[in-house]
Amino acid sequence: MLSLSPSRLIAVLAAGSVTFLSAQGAAQNPSKPFTTARGEWPSYTGDTRGSRYSPLDQISAANFSTLEVAWRFKTDSLGPRPEFKLESTPLMVGGTLYTTAGTGRAVVALDAATGALKWTHKEEEGPRGAAAPRQLSGRGLAYWTDGRDERILYVTPGYRLLALDAKTGNPVSSFGTNGAVDLKADIDQEILPDITTGEIGFQGAPVVGRDVVVIGAAFREGTAPKSKTNNKGYIRGFDVRTGKRLWTFHTIPRKGEPGYDTWQNGSAEYTGNTGVWSQVTIDEELGLVYLPVESPTGDYYGGHRPGNDLYGESLVCLDLKTGAKKWHYQLVHHPIWDFDIPAAPILADITVDGRAIKAVAQPTKQGLLYVFDRVTGKPVWPIEEKPVEKGEVPGEWYSPTQPMPTKPAAYAKNGTSLDDLIDFTPDLHAQAVQVASRYKLGPIFTPPVVSKAEGPLGTLARGPTNGGSNWPGGAFDPETHTFYVASSNAAPVVLGLVQPSKERSDMDWIAGSAAPAGRGGGLGGGGLSVQGLSIFKPPYGTITAINLDKGDITWQVPHGETPDAVRNNEALKGLSIPRTGQAGFTVGTLVTKTLVIAGDPQVTTLTTRPRGAMLRAYDKKTGSEVGSVLLPAPISASPLTYSVGGKQYVVVAVSGGPYSGEFIALRLPTAGPQ
Amino acid sequence: MLAAVLAVSVGASRAHERPATRTVWDSVFSIAQAARGESAYAKGCARCHGAALTGGDQSPPLAGSAFLGNWNGQSLIDLHQRIKTTMPSDSIGIYDAKFVTDVIAFMLKANGFPAGDADLPSDDATLKDIAIRTSRPTPPQ
Ligand code: HEC
Repeated sequence: MLSLSPSRLIAVLAAGSVTFLSAQGAAQNPSKPFTTARGEWPSYTGDTRGSRYSPLDQISAANFSTLEVAWRFKTDSLGPRPEFKLESTPLMVGGTLYTTAGTGRAVVALDAATGALKWTHKEEEGPRGAAAPRQLSGRGLAYWTDGRDERILYVTPGYRLLALDAKTGNPVSSFGTNGAVDLKADIDQEILPDITTGEIGFQGAPVVGRDVVVIGAAFREGTAPKSKTNNKGYIRGFDVRTGKRLWTFHTIPRKGEPGYDTWQNGSAEYTGNTGVWSQVTIDEELGLVYLPVESPTGDYYGGHRPGNDLYGESLVCLDLKTGAKKWHYQLVHHPIWDFDIPAAPILADITVDGRAIKAVAQPTKQGLLYVFDRVTGKPVWPIEEKPVEKGEVPGEWYSPTQPMPTKPAAYAKNGTSLDDLIDFTPDLHAQAVQVASRYKLGPIFTPPVVSKAEGPLGTLARGPTNGGSNWPGGAFDPETHTFYVASSNAAPVVLGLVQPSKERSDMDWIAGSAAPAGRGGGLGGGGLSVQGLSIFKPPYGTITAINLDKGDITWQVPHGETPDAVRNNEALKGLSIPRTGQAGFTVGTLVTKTLVIAGDPQVTTLTTRPRGAMLRAYDKKTGSEVGSVLLPAPISASPLTYSVGGKQYVVVAVSGGPYSGEFIALRLPTAGPQ
Repeated sequence: MLAAVLAVSVGASRAHERPATRTVWDSVFSIAQAARGESAYAKGCARCHGAALTGGDQSPPLAGSAFLGNWNGQSLIDLHQRIKTTMPSDSIGIYDAKFVTDVIAFMLKANGFPAGDADLPSDDATLKDIAIRTSRPTPPQ
């Protein structure tokens, strides 16, 4: 089990990757900093900084392709039925792997070397669990220790925070009430319509820093909400020892608080959502929290909330102990594109023009990286307010400008134009133009339109909802100051609005299509594809490396095998198509001493190998692929790596299509005669 | 080219007991059925998977290469059971078999597979006998 001797702390400090715990700080904060320096993975992103970095180097370019299965853990029986969307990145501390899994979101502890089950904990939440807006297994857990106690923090589908004894899985009775805190209570608002069915939950991983556990808030998919009124996604910090609420941050300001007037006509009173469904990041050294806040109620229509709508789609920095706001930056004014902020902010200590900057870098669906001084909130490179198109949806309010980073350059496609349409052959181009002609095209921030049967059916956009990069987020290499991120270019969505019936919604406009249903053709006779091909040019998905000292892209490669629908396409016979990469919003990057590791989000079937999806390794300096292994299903979460008993492991979650969730642990072949 | 060598395949794909004798290229649904399925989709699926099958924040796309890649080589019964037993994800099991079959007809149409004269039936044996293939099988020599 975990060694808790002072020598361990010294070893952590000596390893050099943690330079921040002053002797005094250590005395005040007996909980150890979260670090991967000793081969563990104690927080969702390795540390609490969003890094997804490990200094381990046993698995390298020379041997990655020889990885073998160390163990596998199927999650089917952890809930009432199998799950097909396993998104967790487990934790690994002291030889034990902790994760959520299964349709009922159980917590399991496994032996990290063998995969053998140590304990499981499962909450039966009845109707409250069944009504949860965020079902299924969730994305993970938080770990905490003060050197004696070891706890696992866990948010149930029904939105309760549990503290479990990491050794046994039993609730820690001194925490909250019998080990649990009801997150639907004590939240500065009454959760409506009632505590059982009231819409609010969280499937992200909690995060702990300096004995404070910070919890996000999430809701149902919001493109076509039932009402302009919803619960508010306030963010709270709790004492990790007692479960006592320490602070609540009003992501929608209350009357009298700054920002309230950015919600005109009193719309802050009834508008909801505006939570953090993604990952919170903590700077343990500075004692600061970074919140990536999502869209307010109505993903594509904001006429019921005129104004800029703070802190919707803002990066917000709070004091960890008090929850007091330090600074904020709104990435999108008056959000109507469902950009949210989908991923963990990444803390990056960089040197720009000779000046050391403690920065925070925010990857986004819009494929833009926003980089700030994380102490002051000032952009590291200028962010300019650029005029954007004003739309014509009746009742909508439009921001005349939007912030656009001058650096780094966009790492994913975030608009649509005729030039973006496939031109493999003149015929395919003509068909793609035909499909696109039913939509409004335009650059980033082209607003949604009223859907019309005669066209446009909507604004054809890339970035909103599930484009660019999403919840798996990026990774940061503290040695080379390089940021890595996977992103999609071929995940188009249609921003079309229709007037709902009064029974359907009290919103004036919700997402929908005026395409006459019942023609059977659907959406221009084949969705947004022609002959099984995306109408957009490859690459469909990429991994990008950005040097954050310079703000420059150092490399970008297509990520993912060319999909079956492209490789075997009759319309492409005789053409040689370079690897296209794959679109998908489950690709997370892991960076190690020498490699960037990421999985394919789609299954492919090649004549040279069985059906499956590849886990790939790239040389982190150049982006050239140096190895790969075949897994049986889409890789559906960010991988993690750790070392136990002198061996390095890489663990990934796979699931999707007909394949139910499974963790697969890989390691190098055991030496000796076979 | 890359130096990557495939050293290990962990877990073979799901083995099929008997290969299906038809594929989705064999005009296995009717236009009228796809039209019914489109209405059913609008009612039952669009709120999460998008009116244009492009997916949402939580829900994967139901048209295009990711969807096709996931299901390539499986049979329609696999897809039918998957929808019937796990969708809609917040109120599982509310759709009857025919509703799901009609939606599948619409999904096939939207993914570019050809329509024929007859409806796709909902019985297990028929669905099991139709394989999903992203590309048209080459005719036997
Ligand atoms: C409440 C939202 C919701 C509704 C309504 C819904 N789905 Fe889903 N669907 C999901 C989510 C979330 C997933 C991913 C989790 C999973 O795969 O089980 C999913 C996954 C799927 C998948 C698996 C896709 C793949 O390739 O892995 C299929 C097929 C599917 N849905 C079909 C349907 C159909 C058909 C309908 C309507 C009859 C429907 N869904 C209604 C939310 C929904």
